[in-house]
Amino acid sequence: MEIRIDNLTKKFGDVVGVEDLTLHIDDGEFVAFLGPSGCGKTTTLLTLAGIYKPTEGFIRFGDRVINTVQPKDRNIGMVFQSYALYPHMTIFQNIAYPLKLKKVPKNAQNEQVRQVANVMGIGDLLDRRPGQLSGGQQQRVALGRALVKEPDVLLFDEPLSNLDARLRLTMRGEIKHLQKNLGITSIYVTHDQVEAMTMADRIAVMNRGHLQAFDAPDELYDRPKTRFVAGFVGNPPMNFVDVEVSRSNGRFIAETDSIRLALGAERGSAPAGHDGAVVMGIRPEDIQIDADGDVRGEIFVVEPLGREDLIDVRIGSHSFILLADTERQHQAGERVSLKFDMSQAQFFDPRTERSLLWKQ
Amino acid sequence: MTARASLFDAGKLKVDESPSSLAQDLLNALRLGLIGILVMLVAAFFFSGVVGPLFALGNVEETVMDVLTRLALLALPFIAYIAAASVARPYTYTDTARALGLALTTTLILFAAISAGHYVFNYGVFAPRPSLQMTLSQTDAGLRVDAIVAGGAADIAEIQVGDVITAIRRDSVDLTAFNRRLSQSEADAPLRLRFTRGAEELQETARVVLVSDKQLSVLLPGLALGLVFTAIIVFLPGHWAPYIALVGLLSPLMVGYFWVIVATFSYRTEGLVPLDSSDNIGGFTLKNWESIFAGNISGLEFNIWPILMTTLTIALVMTFVVLLVSSMAGYALSRMHFPGRRFFLSFTLILHGFPAITLLIPIFFVLLRLGELPVIGELFGFNSIGGIALVMVAFQLPLGVWLMKGFFDNIPWDMERSALIDGASRFRTYWEILLPQIRPGLLALGIFAFIGGWNAYIIPATYSIGSGVSNLPVFLNELIDETAPVDWNQVAAVGLFQLIPIFIFFIFAQEYLLNIYAGGTKGSS
Amino acid sequence: MSEPNSKAKSSAALVQSRRNALRSYLGAYGFMAPAGVLVIIFFLIPVAIVLYLSVTNLASSNFTSDLARMEFIGLKNYETLLNDQFARKIFFNTIFYVLVTLSIFNVSLALVVSLLTTHIDRSAGFVFRALWILPRITSPVVYILIWKRMMAEAPFGILNQFNELLGQPTYNYVSTNPWVFVVVVNGFIGVSFGMIIFTSAIESIPKDLLNASLVDGSSRMQRIRFVILPLIRWPLLFVVTYQTLSLLTSFEEILLLTDGGPGLYRTEVWSLTAFHRALSNYFGNAQWGYGSAFAVLLVLIGVVLAVIYMRVFRFDELIAEPRVEAL
Repeated sequence: MEIRIDNLTKKFGDVVGVEDLTLHIDDGEFVAFLGPSGCGKTTTLLTLAGIYKPTEGFIRFGDRVINTVQPKDRNIGMVFQSYALYPHMTIFQNIAYPLKLKKVPKNAQNEQVRQVANVMGIGDLLDRRPGQLSGGQQQRVALGRALVKEPDVLLFDEPLSNLDARLRLTMRGEIKHLQKNLGITSIYVTHDQVEAMTMADRIAVMNRGHLQAFDAPDELYDRPKTRFVAGFVGNPPMNFVDVEVSRSNGRFIAETDSIRLALGAERGSAPAGHDGAVVMGIRPEDIQIDADGDVRGEIFVVEPLGREDLIDVRIGSHSFILLADTERQHQAGERVSLKFDMSQAQFFDPRTERSLLWKQ
Repeated sequence: MTARASLFDAGKLKVDESPSSLAQDLLNALRLGLIGILVMLVAAFFFSGVVGPLFALGNVEETVMDVLTRLALLALPFIAYIAAASVARPYTYTDTARALGLALTTTLILFAAISAGHYVFNYGVFAPRPSLQMTLSQTDAGLRVDAIVAGGAADIAEIQVGDVITAIRRDSVDLTAFNRRLSQSEADAPLRLRFTRGAEELQETARVVLVSDKQLSVLLPGLALGLVFTAIIVFLPGHWAPYIALVGLLSPLMVGYFWVIVATFSYRTEGLVPLDSSDNIGGFTLKNWESIFAGNISGLEFNIWPILMTTLTIALVMTFVVLLVSSMAGYALSRMHFPGRRFFLSFTLILHGFPAITLLIPIFFVLLRLGELPVIGELFGFNSIGGIALVMVAFQLPLGVWLMKGFFDNIPWDMERSALIDGASRFRTYWEILLPQIRPGLLALGIFAFIGGWNAYIIPATYSIGSGVSNLPVFLNELIDETAPVDWNQVAAVGLFQLIPIFIFFIFAQEYLLNIYAGGTKGSS
Repeated sequence: MSEPNSKAKSSAALVQSRRNALRSYLGAYGFMAPAGVLVIIFFLIPVAIVLYLSVTNLASSNFTSDLARMEFIGLKNYETLLNDQFARKIFFNTIFYVLVTLSIFNVSLALVVSLLTTHIDRSAGFVFRALWILPRITSPVVYILIWKRMMAEAPFGILNQFNELLGQPTYNYVSTNPWVFVVVVNGFIGVSFGMIIFTSAIESIPKDLLNASLVDGSSRMQRIRFVILPLIRWPLLFVVTYQTLSLLTSFEEILLLTDGGPGLYRTEVWSLTAFHRALSNYFGNAQWGYGSAFAVLLVLIGVVLAVIYMRVFRFDELIAEPRVEAL
């Protein structure tokens, strides 16, 4: 099922949930809505589900405008963060509930529920009640209940955030696998950018009710179109510093009071043409501690992450986060030289926060 | 202590390191005891001299302040002993003898002081009491006069030593009855005594006089009580005190309920003591219960079953309707979006605070008019069970709606959304998904409504005439009002019969009861 | 899809949307309807009727249930009420009853009981509190029966057993001390409300705060005085106002206990008078109009206090907008 959202606005009184959102989702696509809490992603999802009515704009499933269609007539399945399993029903009754409401005959209900339960690996839990199940099992039941009515669209509202880290990893794979196999158009709301990056075909990044970007994961990472996207996607987050980019003798220089960095033309020409200071962004993995480095700074904090160390280096009044090999055993207070990979640097307009390199 | 650096040198705490002497402790204890006495005296004066006269200005004929004054004066010595004992208590861990000695000495002195006060002001044991100024002893023949005060009341009535008193007027008396009669007499009241002198039958009228015989020996029981009391206070483990206080405060209630239970199983009771038909202690009987089902109490004939049915109908209809109506309204207020929602919510809250009972008069007219309608009138008009139940439902609605709304509010929104997406209508969501999840709330409100309906008195009594629609409480009150003399033990049996479901709820659902009788106001406080 | 086509669909959808909203509102009103009807019949209409009755001279002699045929006499009932010397006595009786019962039982004893039960073992405290509920769940008729027996004269009365023992005169306390009786009987019922409110307030004080005060060197008594009492000021105020209204308007127990006697209006209170005048007149002459004038005063006090509760106890914070807009 193809989903077309056109100029969607949803307000609660004076509070804007989401504003002027336009988004087209292809049939069978897995799209993630990514953003901090309160960014409007869940509002959009619930509007798609029919729980909220759009204030303005249109939502189409295929060719059909579904703005006023009741949730029960939209043929959607939804998995909630809290799972929302009915505590007074057994697992079987929970999964069968959508079928019962569709007035599917008892035999067929029985068969379909068992089939779904087996796919989800909860076939032996059907007589239990939700309270007796672990979080992971409840999650599978919720997924089973969403799938049993063979929905046209699957909606996920942060389904993995109540699970522990290990279980989250396995469920992530399972959901993606299932979605690809069944080919159901899916929308997945999350604030965890790792989840979004690993699972989605395309990611819609939202902030304060506005769509920031809608692209494939790699695009978002390598060519962020706004400063928000650059900062939100990637962990640890990108370093930002205000610089002046100037051109002298065919070379481009980005500099602040304490840093001076040379740039290539493909990254430097656009910011150099910009009047005044720009925001430079550089990812932690693009900064190396290297004796040959051209910038000197002092280590402020070392945070061991296990595989590598997260190091906060202060250069003058600026602070840079970078990742370093644990074997080097850096200490706080140590003076080091840094090498910046300027071919990966991003530049943003400080006022509009739009990228100077990539046009929208 | 002195060596330690202090944060505030100027205000350094001075610690008296020498142990206090016995004399100091004694003075301390006496001082506290006297403060206790003073406080109670002030309280007594406040009740009798300030509050009492103030209300007398408004022409309120009350004796509450007299009773409070008496209570304050009665408690006075005990408060003094407790205050004194608090000085001795710390020594109980180290020096038992010292603690006891200190406490008893103080008590002795305080007792002497209080007694002196009583002596001077003719109060307490020195208060004048009705007397005939003679001493009597019980013999088989009657009350023998052992001694008389010369010139006293008995002497004036020409009673002599050796006379045997048999009756006051026509009532034959033993010593207890004689003393009771005497103690209830006022000053100068005439008592006509029948007595035998030798073989002669005589009668003379003696006039009661109020006499204060200031014999110091009557103080001895009081002193003993005081000493024992202080000793107990000194050695009482501190954590027992709240329990003792709680039991003390509750005791009138517990005694009352205990009486109902005892009374229903005995012929008659004097105080809490069950007596059989020949006035001996004991006498277990089921006759009170039998008479309920036989349908005859003190000559009033009735059939218990229709009364029971009426009571049960009112209670059950109420429970059912209250649950249904308030859960529906509560659901809409909690979960639905519609114009006027805020108005309805605030209106519910106002009704919740509004005393519906003040509308008793106009509702009478509403029921009269309802009774004139066809069909509805039969069911819900004046003098119908339905009408009574409906009024009571309406009175409980504000609380019910508010409570139900609160319970619905606590169910996660995702539950509702999930059901809607699964394909349920709003009504189905309410009925199949949400109602089962607020079962504790339904149970609490249900119990509340049932108890309200089962106990209802004023509404059934006001809106019904004749016994056709009277319920157990109305019937019970009729029994008390219309039978004379009232057979209290049979009445008690009906009362206990009415209490049975209440006791059952009390035993099994205390937690619900405690929660709901705060009126669903927990959230607001 | 071409643009015009899409526009046509859109406007159709808008009409549909309005129709849907209406349908969803109707659903909500459907849920509200039973409660609404009952409230209209038994609250709103009665308030109007009682106001109307109080300006008529309806009595047994000219009784009619037809509102249109009742005789309008203006504020005459209120005038009579102001000049009625018994009304003045009843007014002071009511103030006395409310003040004394409230201060001794509904507030003080309730506070004492909740403080005591929160300073002992949790489950024991619960049992004691539960026992205090008994008077409230006992039918008033049975409850009064119990108390009548407690106060009866010797040899049957329970309290008088002590008098016998001490050789004191015995009395029927209902007739000698009717007010004591009325206050105590209502007071024992009234304790539970304040007790529950205070207890939940005390229990919601953070444990750390209570422990901190002990560590800081206060005794348990000082902790009650300086920590607990200041923290339960609001509940205290709530109980005082709420119970004032309850006591003002409840008369069932007094009706069963003394019926306003013994003697002329000795324990009669305002709400009982309204009831007596209109609904239970021994002389067979019910004065609906005059009785309603008494009731109107209580209705007005009730409305005012109820509105105050709503304001004072932060009604706005209790309202959360629903988060589902589907039908």
